[in-house]
Amino acid sequence: MFSFHSIKELINTLNRERDLLSELFEKRRIPFKEEYALELVDFREERLEFLKERGVVRSNGPYIEIDDQFLQFFELILEVNEEINTSYIHESIRQIRENILYYLQESNQGRKYSYLRAVKMSLRKIGRIMLRNVVDLNRNIENTFKTEPTYRVKIAKLENYDRKRQDITALLDQTERLLAEDEQTFFRAALDEELKQITTDLRFLMNESRHNLIEIQKQIIEYLNQIKYQSRVTEKLRQIKYLKDQFELRTRTDIDEVLGRSHSLIFEPNPSYPLKLSLEFLQTDEALQSILRTALKLKAASGTVGLPLADGIGDDYLRAETEREVIINLDELKNGFEASGNHLFGFVMNYTFPREVSFEERITLYCQMVSFYEKDLNVTETFGRHEGLEYAMVYPR
Amino acid sequence: MNVPKQTGEIFDILSRGQFICSNSSRETIRRLYNVLEEHFDELRNYFGAIYFTLERGDEFFYFSRSESKTDLERKIETAYKWIDIMDFFKTFDSAFGPGYRFTPSDILVRLNVDAALKNKIEGLKKYSNDENYAESLRKIVRMLVNDNFIELENEISDSYKALSSFKYLEQLVLSIAIPEEVRSEIPE
Repeated sequence: MFSFHSIKELINTLNRERDLLSELFEKRRIPFKEEYALELVDFREERLEFLKERGVVRSNGPYIEIDDQFLQFFELILEVNEEINTSYIHESIRQIRENILYYLQESNQGRKYSYLRAVKMSLRKIGRIMLRNVVDLNRNIENTFKTEPTYRVKIAKLENYDRKRQDITALLDQTERLLAEDEQTFFRAALDEELKQITTDLRFLMNESRHNLIEIQKQIIEYLNQIKYQSRVTEKLRQIKYLKDQFELRTRTDIDEVLGRSHSLIFEPNPSYPLKLSLEFLQTDEALQSILRTALKLKAASGTVGLPLADGIGDDYLRAETEREVIINLDELKNGFEASGNHLFGFVMNYTFPREVSFEERITLYCQMVSFYEKDLNVTETFGRHEGLEYAMVYPR
Repeated sequence: MNVPKQTGEIFDILSRGQFICSNSSRETIRRLYNVLEEHFDELRNYFGAIYFTLERGDEFFYFSRSESKTDLERKIETAYKWIDIMDFFKTFDSAFGPGYRFTPSDILVRLNVDAALKNKIEGLKKYSNDENYAESLRKIVRMLVNDNFIELENEISDSYKALSSFKYLEQLVLSIAIPEEVRSEIPE
């Protein structure tokens, strides 16, 4: 692998491939195919090859990605790093201590100055990185709590973040001790205006980080508690549901007792409070309007819903009416005939009926008598004549 | 007795077996919650005089009585219904709890890919009396809305939010003790 000869070459290379690099950086979390990368270097494979040789990008199977070294550099500068890396601060603190030692032992002013500069640079960095880490930590915790779907991973992640938080707190303490106690000689001896400013800034940033960390600690504890509570509920619910489905819930748990103790209104059916109307109110004008409206509504309701009614039955239909009809009793007629000794036709013609009986009816009666009482009568072969009618002479037997 | 002027409103809601929750999206309810928070002791005494016990839960208030007016059977029935419904929603998302937001369509989409969830909504048919999943779910959601455990947050997007009163259900479940030997029989 070749490396860059100069910073100029590096910057020129980065500038030339800015399209590809910015695209790769934006898509650093998803696999990026090498063939797409070729499009971004105008299909000139040698340019891609050059980047690979210099270790800027790396092939990973069919995919291509920015080398980790560069990726970290970009993330750090752009302050978008997701990973919380406390080793960096740790390293800086170590450097500061070393440089302070060199500074105190060095007598050459020029070299002394360069050590002082190194200390200042590290101090400046520490504060910023620390706060950055704290902010990242906060965001990561929130993201994990809200988006991590797997319960166990979520808890493990949160617990890890809690450990990170402890690390940062420890570093914070270390830095603070460095400034206030351990290297007092240096900070007094090397005191210049700039260093003073830097330490003040650092203290300010540390203060802010510390407050944030306390908040984070609270947050983590709360999140962990929430998750534990939720999982406890879920687990319990699962068990109860199981027992319920097995129809054992009432016999094997104390649900009866628990519910017996609870007198919450939520278990009661929705109550209604039917109250009597105020009589005084009903006499006011306001009430009158309501009454009229209600009456109207009732009327409308009865008009549409009520069954259609028939008119009352007229009196005429109910009046009792008698009709008289005189029925001629054929039996009586026969008895009378048997006693008379007359022949039937003569008898029927002269018989006094209870009502007026016409000639035609008398003839009908004659025929009826003959057909009804045929066995009791003696119908002879002799015929009599009456007004153009010929009739058989009938006698009683 | 000196009571805040919202006492009537509060009584109206609580006496119907509803909750007053701090995370309601309705301004009036939140206002009443604050009033309750501020005047808890006075109101507790006041309602106590008419045989209602004002109870304070975690971020919600509700009424109970010193003596229950319902029989145990009815309570059991209600509790069973809640257990089934809670189980369904917790299967949908184990994080389902106070403050959780969802739309019925989210759940319907999940029904297609989650056999366990589908199984559970089948089991809820006895409460909803509906064959159609969407309609069945809608009825279940309405049941929870009526019982004041969730509320319609946005009519346009049809999104619902679980109220802090949902914790009442969770606590009810937690308060049921399962003896150790029974627990060991329950499969994982």
